[in-house]
Amino acid sequence: MSTSDDNDPIAPEDLEARLRALGEGLAVPPVPPPADVARAVRARIEDSGADDRARRRWAAWRPSPRVAAAAVAVLMAVLLGATPQGRAAVVSVLRFAGVEIHVGGAGPLPTGAPSPLPGERRVTLEEARRTARFAVAVPSALGEPSDVRLADGGRVVTLLWPGVRLDEFDGTLGVVWHKELGEPFPEQVGVVGGWWIPRSHGVSYVPAGGGAPREERVAGPTLIWQHKLVGLRLEGPDRAEALRIASSVR
Amino acid sequence: MDDDEAVTRALAGDLDAYEVLVTRYSAVAHRTASLLGAADEAEDVVQEAFVKAFRHLKGFRRGSSFRPWLLRIVANETHDLTRSRGRRSDLAVRLGREREPYGPGDPEDPEGAAVDADGRSRLLEAVRALPGGEREAVVCRYFLQLSEAETAEVLGVRLGTVKSRTFRALRRLREEVGREHFG
Repeated sequence: MSTSDDNDPIAPEDLEARLRALGEGLAVPPVPPPADVARAVRARIEDSGADDRARRRWAAWRPSPRVAAAAVAVLMAVLLGATPQGRAAVVSVLRFAGVEIHVGGAGPLPTGAPSPLPGERRVTLEEARRTARFAVAVPSALGEPSDVRLADGGRVVTLLWPGVRLDEFDGTLGVVWHKELGEPFPEQVGVVGGWWIPRSHGVSYVPAGGGAPREERVAGPTLIWQHKLVGLRLEGPDRAEALRIASSVR
Repeated sequence: MDDDEAVTRALAGDLDAYEVLVTRYSAVAHRTASLLGAADEAEDVVQEAFVKAFRHLKGFRRGSSFRPWLLRIVANETHDLTRSRGRRSDLAVRLGREREPYGPGDPEDPEGAAVDADGRSRLLEAVRALPGGEREAVVCRYFLQLSEAETAEVLGVRLGTVKSRTFRALRRLREEVGREHFG
């Protein structure tokens, strides 16, 4: 650097560039991994707002009279209770439209490929409609399913499209599906009067004849709702798409 | 998931969606807290800011940018902290690497690197010596590389104030650094 350079006034844009470069080279105290920060923040929100959230969850859902009537019919039992064992224990159970959800465990462990349902076989949509114990609904947003399965003597009909799985079942008589998930509690979705499970979770089928639930598999985010007397669980699409599909069920 | 969707879902109580926002802005929040004077308490400040942001999410104007809104909360938390500690909100930083890959001169030339490091430390000292408001404007505009509008939002001042503080700060820095060149 020569003396004449030193005596020159610094050009404004040069000073600004030097300040930016200086900023980029500054060492701030070590930053914790963002995922750790996210966990810590979440814990603080949950600790301080547990009661608030429980209240909000119920207060925020204002169903239309039609949905409310359906919900009364299908909301068999909602048991909410904290257990003293804390986080690792199941803290709440939700039964809705033939689905029993245990919230608060550690969430699912991967268990490999899903096994077929009892007596599951490939059928045509017409055959499914004839054989199922309920009126099979097809969301108009998706059109004809690419595959149809009938299982457990017509208790469950599964419609498949690429990347989308829709299980339909008799949602009024008992528990058909058992779900295990970690926090958060599923989100209530007023539009379709159902529940959105935003995270991967364990799901197992509870056979019609009773007995132990079948082997658990890991399901992705899922929307659960009820249409007339049919329980539905939709897996694959994201929340917005799932709601669009659910709203198109007639 | 973009910010707007994450905010929408977080407003509905979806903590997964809020985690997305926390993860996304954690680094810049820490940097902001540190540079505005939180020092080794930046972690606490940032966590507290994120918790407050969640509680006040309803006050976030939809369609505007989440980042400056969040950083304003971080800045306010930092101010509260430094006030409560009765200390000056100083630049809690030091010069990082010995030399910059983008600095002037040949990076393989140790002498050039030393001269560069010297210039940087003088410039940092000059920024430290600026009056508080001007220093914060410089920190936001150049160290955090926020726009003038974002800086105004983060510091809670008008756009014109940001412009005039930045202008005065640059003039002062130019004088300071220029004078040292003679010395």
